[in-house]
Amino acid sequence: MMAVARELPVAGVRERRWRGVQAFARNRTALVGLVMVALLLLIAVAAPVFAPHSPIEQSTIHRLEPPSREYPFGRDDFGRDILSRVIYGTRIALLVGLLSVALGGILGTAMGVVAAFRGGRTEAWLMRLTDVLLAFPDLITGLLILAVLGPGLWKMIIAIALTITPRFSRIAHGPALSIKRRDFVEAARAIGVGDARILFRHILPNIVGELLVLASLWTASAIRLEASLSFIGLGVRPPTPTWGQMIRDGTVHLTNAPWFSLFPGLALLLTILAFNLVGDGLRDALDPKTQA
Amino acid sequence: MKNERAFEGWLRTLIEGRSTRRDVLRRGLLLGMGASAVGPLLAACQREEPAPAPGGATPPPESPAPGAGTPTMTGTPEAGTPPPAERQVLNYGANAADITTLDPHFAAATQDRNIVDMVFNALIRYKPGDSSEFEPDLAEEIPEPEETADGKQVWTFTLRRGVMWHAGPQNESYELTADDVVYSLQKSANKDRSAYSADYAGMTFEKVDDYTVRITVDPPLSPTLFLPKVANYNGGFIVSQRAVEAMGDEAIKTHPIGTGPFRFKSYASKDRVELQANDDYFRGSPRLAGVQVRFMSDPTSRELALKSGEMDVVGGVADSTWVQKINEEPNLQADVFGVGEVAFLNLNMAREPLNDIRVRQAILYAIDREAHLAVFGGPPVAESVFSVVPAQFMPGGLTQEEAEQAGVAYGRDLDRARQLLAEAGLGDGFSLTLVTSEMDAYRKNYEVLQEELREIGITVELDVVDHSTMHRLIREDVNPIVIYIAFRPNADVYLTQFFHSDSIVVTGPRPNTNFSHYNQIDDLIEQARVETDPERQEELWKQANIKILQDAVGFPLHYINQVYGRSKAVDYGHEVKSSLALYPGFTEQTTVQR
Repeated sequence: MMAVARELPVAGVRERRWRGVQAFARNRTALVGLVMVALLLLIAVAAPVFAPHSPIEQSTIHRLEPPSREYPFGRDDFGRDILSRVIYGTRIALLVGLLSVALGGILGTAMGVVAAFRGGRTEAWLMRLTDVLLAFPDLITGLLILAVLGPGLWKMIIAIALTITPRFSRIAHGPALSIKRRDFVEAARAIGVGDARILFRHILPNIVGELLVLASLWTASAIRLEASLSFIGLGVRPPTPTWGQMIRDGTVHLTNAPWFSLFPGLALLLTILAFNLVGDGLRDALDPKTQA
Repeated sequence: MKNERAFEGWLRTLIEGRSTRRDVLRRGLLLGMGASAVGPLLAACQREEPAPAPGGATPPPESPAPGAGTPTMTGTPEAGTPPPAERQVLNYGANAADITTLDPHFAAATQDRNIVDMVFNALIRYKPGDSSEFEPDLAEEIPEPEETADGKQVWTFTLRRGVMWHAGPQNESYELTADDVVYSLQKSANKDRSAYSADYAGMTFEKVDDYTVRITVDPPLSPTLFLPKVANYNGGFIVSQRAVEAMGDEAIKTHPIGTGPFRFKSYASKDRVELQANDDYFRGSPRLAGVQVRFMSDPTSRELALKSGEMDVVGGVADSTWVQKINEEPNLQADVFGVGEVAFLNLNMAREPLNDIRVRQAILYAIDREAHLAVFGGPPVAESVFSVVPAQFMPGGLTQEEAEQAGVAYGRDLDRARQLLAEAGLGDGFSLTLVTSEMDAYRKNYEVLQEELREIGITVELDVVDHSTMHRLIREDVNPIVIYIAFRPNADVYLTQFFHSDSIVVTGPRPNTNFSHYNQIDDLIEQARVETDPERQEELWKQANIKILQDAVGFPLHYINQVYGRSKAVDYGHEVKSSLALYPGFTEQTTVQR
């Protein structure tokens, strides 16, 4: 909201963005977060290179073996290598996190902007729907949608995306509404610029900052949601490893094989931390109040 | 030592503070989520599968019994003399979120069976801790059957005198008579008032005098098949005519009135059921002041409550590593006992490519019994079994030796499996999509099977769904291979429900759980059912089991025993080998020495 408090022509947006990048680069914790995210992406993409063993090969006689040189994170209840499973689990976590936020972000932004732009009944309907969806805690919405759709990776991504959608539509709606009434938009409209061009040229660039902050913070939440839904047992098809499922399977052995839940839990913690650090950094960098 | 306790207490609060999976789901319901959407999820959390009786309906876990909404229902005020001061209350942490029903003729979930077992009696009973032997309970002795001239069979029971019913909210304590027994058995036989009515088809019950009951059976049954129907299991429990008539069938679901060593005191929904000693018990006053059943669905909470001394007995985890861990504690003891639930494969012979016997055999040769045992930590929790009917617990099953002699033990042989697939023209493998429950016992077995089949080129896509959805889907015939985990009280029930053509899912005349569409042993099952010579009957059942394995339609993986943890201060008063009530058994002999 604050970023658009002033009237900003396009050139101003670019300049401000550059200042934002500089501010971000000066923020050490944010950079640490960014490096961690980059590392996670690398691990996810090159999982087969990093994983020392197969993540799905079972060896039941070695089940629940404690960490060793050969298996630094120990083995799970099927005798599978926990390190390799944590590494492969990065793929699901990031896939679900990024994709559901992208989907939910696009859908939510569209809803918010269209509502602001069209006004009237469309706006009323879209924003009340947003209010209804926002009234539920995220896990409950996710659970409800998943209960209707049934379990599975893509269904889970859709469920989380729908959970995230109202957050974006709410954030996109306000600024879009205020920018719509600014003189430069009126001027553009007066010289006959079409709706779509006004949207992409004038409105979206002005709210992209907030949306990016929201996206990075919600990526962390989406990963947490994925883990929670997997923990409940409604996640991805086995034997594909996911952190939530691993944590869940380990809880039974919490007192005799703590490594089983511990390592996927740590991976989850670090990943959520990384995205939160980036999100906080972005918010600070894009907030005009914190800019010099 | 003190620090350790403090740490455990802290850990416990942490865990209890955190929502368990069930809590999350239940809260979801409370928050007003559509009941239709949450229903299946919620039901998934019930540990037990649907009631075994065909056609019997198990009421849903949240059935709105009167009083269930109020936090506490208090029973009758303390009766008679106060119990001696040294008697203790036994605290039992049950692996459940709540009771389902305490009407013994519907009780199927483990926690319900446990409580019913303490409150009620039957004409005869399985010896406490040993379900392989019967002894008289309300009857003075176990009778011998008589044949009538018209080919029927008559069993005459003489009742014990002086057996007193617990006093209830609407009945005084009174002496049990033949009227109660006839009323109760008729309730069990009524399909609207019992989940086990099918067990009593062809039976009539009559009062001869106040202490004599005559049961007529047509056609005659062997003792192996008849006695369980009047024992302390399912429909055999005897309920009080006056109490049930006064309170109604709904009210007794949360306020049972029986003749057993413990009587109902109070029920707090999702929290606890309190039972107190029945000092008028016909076998003598209990040595416990009562039993408090606490519902604790989180395994870690139960374990910590046992370690801290808050609980004396808790439901354990079906994993031998848990048993070891508990036994390492100086004051604790893990008990592993039957009856074991058999996990077995059902291969759909009506579905391509499993309609080719070579493909089914290939699948069986890919299976490594040891791997399926190992994911439960191996013995003593999980043990091998060589026919779907477990020879360890009932007549009619095959021992390892018998299975090997008949050439139906199978055993992992990957070369042979691949060769059989090649002969069937499927040398390049194929793929299957299977649905599994999210429950550990199912998911683990399916995941091991997935890995085993991968090695012979069969790709298995596994869809994990909640428990009740799986039960629904497999009954709609979606799975070409069904893993089922079940205990059934005798070979006839196992074979009829899983391998008689009448029970074929979807298409059978009385669809039940015949997932393999098998129809080759109907005559053997029917012949065995009416065979009154126990030895000949057992032989017929064994033949049926051999045929099932020869045709590769059913394959036993293992059975999973009951696992409990207890403080060494607890003495059950009997050795625990097997229990149909699925818990160690708390009787008038049970003690806690704190």
